Amino acid sequence: MLKYIFKRLLIFIPTLFVIALATFYLSVNVPGDPVEQMLNANNDAGSSANQKASEAAYIQKRHELGLDLPVFYFAVSNQATPKDLYKIPKKFQRKNLGELVEKYGNWKEISTYYEQVKHFSYAVSDVISDSANADILIEIRNDVQNLLTENDDQVIEYAFQNLKQNIGQDTSLESVLSGTLQQTYQDYTNIKTKATPNKKLIPAIHWYGTQSQFHQWITHFFKGDFGISYQDGRPVKTVIWSAVRWTLVLSVISIILTYLIAIPLGIFSAAKKGSLTDQGITTTLFILYSLPNFWVATLLILFFGGGDFFDIYPANGVGQLDNTMSLFQQFWTRTHHLILPVICFTYGGLAFLSRQMRGAMINTLSQDYIRTAKAKGLDDEKVLWKHALKNSLIPIITLFANVFPLLISGAVIIEFKFTIPGMGKTAYEALLARDYPVVYTIVMFSAILTLIGYLVADILYAWVDPRIKFDKR
Amino acid sequence: MTASTNTTLKQDYWSYVKRQFKKNKRALFSLYIVGFMAFIALFADFIANEKPIVCKYEGKTFYPIFNQYLVNLKLAKPYAELNNISWTDAEFESAIRPPIPYSPNTQDILNFGFVSPFEKQDVKSIRWRHWLGTESIGRDVLSALIHGTRIAFMVGLVSMSIASVIGIFLGAIAGFFGDNRLKISRATLLMLFPMGFFGLFYAFAFKKLFWGLGIMLLAAFLAYVFGFLLKPVSFFKKKIAIPLDILIQRLIEILVSIPGLFLIIAIIAIAKPSIFLVMVVIGLTSWTEIARFIRAELLKVRSLEFIEAAEALGYPKWRILFRHAIPNAIGPVLITIAFGIAAAILIESFLSFLGLGIPPETLTWGKLLSLAGGGKSELWVAVFPGIAIFLTVTLFNLIGEGLTDALDPKQKK
Repeated sequence: MLKYIFKRLLIFIPTLFVIALATFYLSVNVPGDPVEQMLNANNDAGSSANQKASEAAYIQKRHELGLDLPVFYFAVSNQATPKDLYKIPKKFQRKNLGELVEKYGNWKEISTYYEQVKHFSYAVSDVISDSANADILIEIRNDVQNLLTENDDQVIEYAFQNLKQNIGQDTSLESVLSGTLQQTYQDYTNIKTKATPNKKLIPAIHWYGTQSQFHQWITHFFKGDFGISYQDGRPVKTVIWSAVRWTLVLSVISIILTYLIAIPLGIFSAAKKGSLTDQGITTTLFILYSLPNFWVATLLILFFGGGDFFDIYPANGVGQLDNTMSLFQQFWTRTHHLILPVICFTYGGLAFLSRQMRGAMINTLSQDYIRTAKAKGLDDEKVLWKHALKNSLIPIITLFANVFPLLISGAVIIEFKFTIPGMGKTAYEALLARDYPVVYTIVMFSAILTLIGYLVADILYAWVDPRIKFDKR
Repeated sequence: MTASTNTTLKQDYWSYVKRQFKKNKRALFSLYIVGFMAFIALFADFIANEKPIVCKYEGKTFYPIFNQYLVNLKLAKPYAELNNISWTDAEFESAIRPPIPYSPNTQDILNFGFVSPFEKQDVKSIRWRHWLGTESIGRDVLSALIHGTRIAFMVGLVSMSIASVIGIFLGAIAGFFGDNRLKISRATLLMLFPMGFFGLFYAFAFKKLFWGLGIMLLAAFLAYVFGFLLKPVSFFKKKIAIPLDILIQRLIEILVSIPGLFLIIAIIAIAKPSIFLVMVVIGLTSWTEIARFIRAELLKVRSLEFIEAAEALGYPKWRILFRHAIPNAIGPVLITIAFGIAAAILIESFLSFLGLGIPPETLTWGKLLSLAGGGKSELWVAVFPGIAIFLTVTLFNLIGEGLTDALDPKQKK
C-alpha cells in the first residue's frame, strides 16, 4: 500500500509540471501588459524627459515583477530572431519587433531602426507646441506612434510620407526634425534592402537556463511565495487566505448538510422502492439534479432577496459584524446572509448524493447475503441498518474525495451572484483582470487538491473494500 | 466467426437496445420532445422572424427569409427594393409572416422595459402580441428562446462531436493497444523526434493550417522512410512498445485536475467572443469521460474471440481496431454523449449568463436569463429561459438514463 501511494505521489510531479506549463503558456500569450496594468498609467505623451522617466519606471516595475527575464528555460526559435529580444521592455514593442524580424530576418538593421525611431519620437516630443504647429504636431505624433506599433510595410510607408509632408509644412519643425526623419527613413529602407527572410527557416534553440520567469515562479511557488496580485499589490497569499475562509465556511456547511440529508433520504427511498413515496422522492431529486444553479440563484434572489416579492434575506455579501453585537447577533447576521447561498450550494450535491445512495442501497439489497439474512428471520430494520448500510456506503465514501477540489475552486456562480468574497469569485475576477499570480496559485492548488482527492478516493476504496489490492498491479 | 454473422449479431444487439429503450416510456417521450426541439432549432428562422416568409411589395413578390439564406451563402444579393424598409412596419400589399413576427434582435420600441406576458401590450393586433413578454430594450422573449434553441442544440451537438472524436480515438487506442501492444522499431522512434521537431517548426513557420498539416504529414512520412533506411542495423531493428495507455491516462488526469470550468473561462475570457470558440473549447475539455468509458469497454472487447479471430486472419491492427473493436464498444459511449450534451448546454448557458464567450448582440438562453433584475415584470425574463435550459438538460439526462438501462446487460430479462 505504501509503495502504491509513493508511486502515485511520484506521478504527481510530471502531472503538476504539465499543468503549471499549460497555465503559464496561456498567461504569456494573452493580450495585455501586466506592468502597464500595475503602473496604471500610459505616459506616452509629454516631453522626452517625461517619457524617459516613465519608461524607467516601467523598467523598474518590470524588474520587480520578474517579467524582465526570458519566459522559459529555452526557446525554440529561428536564426533571424535574436536571443535577447526579451530585453525590449514594452510588451507591444517586443511583439512588433518580433513580427518585423519574422518578416525581414535582419535583426541588426531592425534594432538600428528601432533605436532611431525612439530617438525620433523623443525629438518629436521635445518640440514645443504653439498655435502655429499644434494641428500638425498632433498628426505627427500619431504617425510616430504608428511607427512604434505597426509592422505592415504599407502602413509604415504611409506614415513616413505623412511625416515628410507635415514636417515640410512648417519651417521651424523642418529644421529640427527633418534630419532625424531622413535618417529614420534611411534605416527603414535599409531593413527592406538588406532583408534576409530565409534566415527564419533555420531553426535555433536559445538556452536561458534558470534565469527564466517560469523557473523563478515555480521555485518560489514551492517555497510558499506566490508573488503579489497585479490588481492591488497585496501578496497572493493574503488574497487567497481571506477568500478561502468564506468558501470553506460555505462548502463545509453545505457538505455536512448534504450528507446529513442525502444518506437517510437515499436509504429511506431504497427501502420503500417502488412505493409512491419513493417515486415522489426520486422525481423531486431528479428535477433538483437538473436545475441549473445560476437559475436557482437568480430566482432565489428575485423572490427572497429584495426585489418586488419577499424581502426576507439579504442577497449581497456576508454581512457586517461589529463589536457591539452579542455573539448570538453575530451568528444570526452571518446565518441570515448565508442561507440563500447555502441552499444553492447544497441542493445539487444533495440530489446527486441521494440518487447515488439509493442506487447503492438497492444494489446491496438485491445481494444474496441480504436474502440469507432475511431468510434466517432477521427483521427488515435490522437487515437494512446492520447489514446493508455498511456495504452500500462504499461508493458514497469515495465520492467524498470529489469534494476536495470544491473547497478551493468554490462555486463561481453562487459566490458571484451573492457577492460572497470567496475563492470562486476571487478566481473569476482575477481571471477577468488577468491577475496571473492569483490565477496560477488557484489553479495549482485546485490541481493538487484534485490529485490528492483521487488518491484519497482510491485509498478509501481499498480501505473499505479489502478485496481491492493495489500492490499486485 | 465470419464477418456476416458478426454483422447480424450487431444488428441484433442494436435492435435489442432499441427495444429496451422503447420500454422506458419516460426516455422515449424525452426523445420525441428533443426531436421536436430539434425541429424548432432547425426551422427557427421560419418560426420567429421579423421578415415575412413571402411578401408582395410594390407589385413584386419576395421571399426575404430564403433570400437571407442565399445571401449568407453568398449565392445572391439582398433585395434592393426592400433595402431600407422596416420589416415590422412596412406596408406590404400582402405578406405571410412567421408565427412569431419578431427576430431575436427586433426592438419593439413601443413595448420596451420588461413588458410582462399578462400586461396590456401596445401592439397592432393579437397577431403581434409578445406571448412571453419583452426584455429591457423591447426584444421578444419567445423569439429569443426559439433562436436560443438553435444555439443550445448546436453547442450540444458540435461540442460533443468534437469530444466524441477525440475521446473515442484516444480512449480506444489506450484500451486496445494498452501499454505494450503498439510496437514500433527503434529506428522509427529515433527518427520521429527530429522529424517531429522539424515538422512542428516549419508547420509553425508557415502559419497556414493547410500547409502546416501537409508539412507534419511529410515529416511523419520522412521519419518512416529514414527509419526504414536504418533498419539493416540490428540495434535499430528491435521493436519497442509505446506505453500508450499510461500516456493517455496521464493526459486525462492532467485535464481532469485543472478545474474544467476555470479552464473554459480562462480561454473564453482572453479570446474574441464567438459561439464557435465556446463549442470547440467545451469539446476539447469534455472528452475525458468518453475516453474513459470506451477504454474500459475496449479492455473487455479486445480479449473476445472475434478479435482474436481477426488477428489470426492477419488483419492489420488498425483495421481490427476501427472495423471490429470500436463498433462493438460504441454502445455505452452513447450514454456519456447524452449526458455530455446536457452538460455542454448547461456550460454554455452558464458562460453566456456570465456574459462570456458570446458576441454581445447574440441572445442565448443564459444571456436572456442574466438580463433579469429584481422586478416583478422581470420575473418572466428569468423564468422562461430558465425553464428552457432546465427542460433541455432534463430531457437529455432522461435519455441518458434510458440508454443506461437499455445498454445495461443486468437488465436483460
